[in-house]
Amino acid sequence: MTRFFALLVIAAWAAFAVQREPAAEELVTAISSDTVSIQSNFTGTAIVIFGQVTRDANSVGRRGKYDLAIIVEGPAQNITTRRKGRFLGVWVNRHYETFQDVPSFYALASTANVGDLGGRELLDEYQIGLNHLNLAVTGSSGVPLSERDDFRKAFIRLRQEQGLYSEQRQSIEFLTESMFRTTVALPANIPVGSYKIKSFLLQDGSLLSKTEQDLAVAKTGFEQLTFELAQNYSALYGILAVLIAILTGWLASVIFKKD
Amino acid sequence: MCYSAHTKTRLYPVQLYLPIAEIPVNMFVIFGMGGAVGFLSGLFGIGGGFLLTPLLIFSGIPPAVSVATVTTQVVASSASAVVSYWRRKAIDLKLASMLLVGGVIGSLLGVLLFDLLQQVGQLDVVISLSYVTFLGTIGGLMLVESVRAIRQRKKGAAPRSRRPGQHNWIHGLPFKMRFRRSKLYVSIIPILGLGAVIGFLGSVLGIGGGFMMVPALIYLLRVPTSIVIGTSLFQILFTMSAATIFHSIGTQTVDIVLAITLMVGGVIGAQFGARMGQNLRGDQLRLLLALLVLSVGVRFAIDLLLVPEDLYSIAITKGAGA
Repeated sequence: MTRFFALLVIAAWAAFAVQREPAAEELVTAISSDTVSIQSNFTGTAIVIFGQVTRDANSVGRRGKYDLAIIVEGPAQNITTRRKGRFLGVWVNRHYETFQDVPSFYALASTANVGDLGGRELLDEYQIGLNHLNLAVTGSSGVPLSERDDFRKAFIRLRQEQGLYSEQRQSIEFLTESMFRTTVALPANIPVGSYKIKSFLLQDGSLLSKTEQDLAVAKTGFEQLTFELAQNYSALYGILAVLIAILTGWLASVIFKKD
Repeated sequence: MCYSAHTKTRLYPVQLYLPIAEIPVNMFVIFGMGGAVGFLSGLFGIGGGFLLTPLLIFSGIPPAVSVATVTTQVVASSASAVVSYWRRKAIDLKLASMLLVGGVIGSLLGVLLFDLLQQVGQLDVVISLSYVTFLGTIGGLMLVESVRAIRQRKKGAAPRSRRPGQHNWIHGLPFKMRFRRSKLYVSIIPILGLGAVIGFLGSVLGIGGGFMMVPALIYLLRVPTSIVIGTSLFQILFTMSAATIFHSIGTQTVDIVLAITLMVGGVIGAQFGARMGQNLRGDQLRLLLALLVLSVGVRFAIDLLLVPEDLYSIAITKGAGA
């Protein structure tokens, strides 16, 4: 139902967009839902991103393959990557590198391999592809320059293992010549916050058009209440936790009382 | 830290999303863990925190959440036991309150250290090293003692009840106080100190500390055995309540959903454990407990000594989910 609705929206948008003399090609996108709510039974979900490539008279005749890249990006985080080393025979965290303002979630869907989408400069500028993420480090790092790449690689690998970073090549499906659709899985451990969905329309390595949309991932109901309480009224949260524990213990002693 | 174990359990219908740990877990697995540890704690008359915390850590719950949440679960399990000791009037309230004063101070210091270690990324290794040290020592001592007791029983010799002299160095310390219920007149320094050490370890390691408190009260302070367990539980109840509140404020890692699931499993398991415990001999029980304590310690030691599967780990330090 929502998908059908989204398609309608796109169609209307496209009709409208065509009327107001767009650039040669224009990209229109819509998402199946603009909020993801996390409840107690949350085990991950997926969002569907629809879109259409609109053309005007100048570009209609131009035949060529379009490339698309769609990025779902979570709110920024600072993340410390640590490496263990032996210290007095015991394995402990020794060296570390802190990456600043990196996305907490990053999923790329594309029509082709990242390398075939465009040149390095373009990919770096729009951070298309895991290898093109801007992983800036803090100045306090004690890691020698030659080893920094190891930390970057380990960071991306660990995030991929957690399911928070991914690259899905050739995962965008064209429904008609100009309409496309892709599904991005959001795993159960996604962080909450405001997400951005960035779509890029490319051809022969150059950017034709891009769109950006917001997606909110939020805890709702009890989960939100608990989280807010723990964050903002932490003393009250602690006291409540203790009261619940004492009550549970007392109830158990009443229920199982030996007579 | 491995979160992947939790995302793969989608086959089972009962998934529970933990609002603070921010991962979904299988409710039955957590409930079962609470039940199994509850069973053992009923069987051996221990709090079980030292078993539950490692179990949670090994199963992929972040160590910080495991430790803080187990302090809450210990509140529930000790509250349930305290009620029955209270009915039997087997608690020295004055002694317990003195231990508690030390306990609250120790627990506050513990949470401060916990927070600091978490920031510098050395929390996991300190937790592991401490577990190896404490569980290794205590498990070893218990093993030796219980094997000796079983041998003596097999030989038919009457077990020598340890009756050391009425006084030791502790009785020479100043600031003495009279504890009528325990028939004691001792300095408050070792009492405060003992309380503080247990409170400190409790909040850093997520353990109640009963397995250290009880022998210390008996051997160091000469508290009568009939009063020891009730008093120790009473003090643990309040120290761990304080630790829960301190953790909530300081590290914000108490996951109430996880705690409730563990509690319910725990109190039910404890009832079955206590019934089974009545059919086993004391020295056999202590031998089993010693082996259990040692094996947890060994598991931590192996993790510290073997080359880790993955040298790298990541932790969020700022922004969403930090």
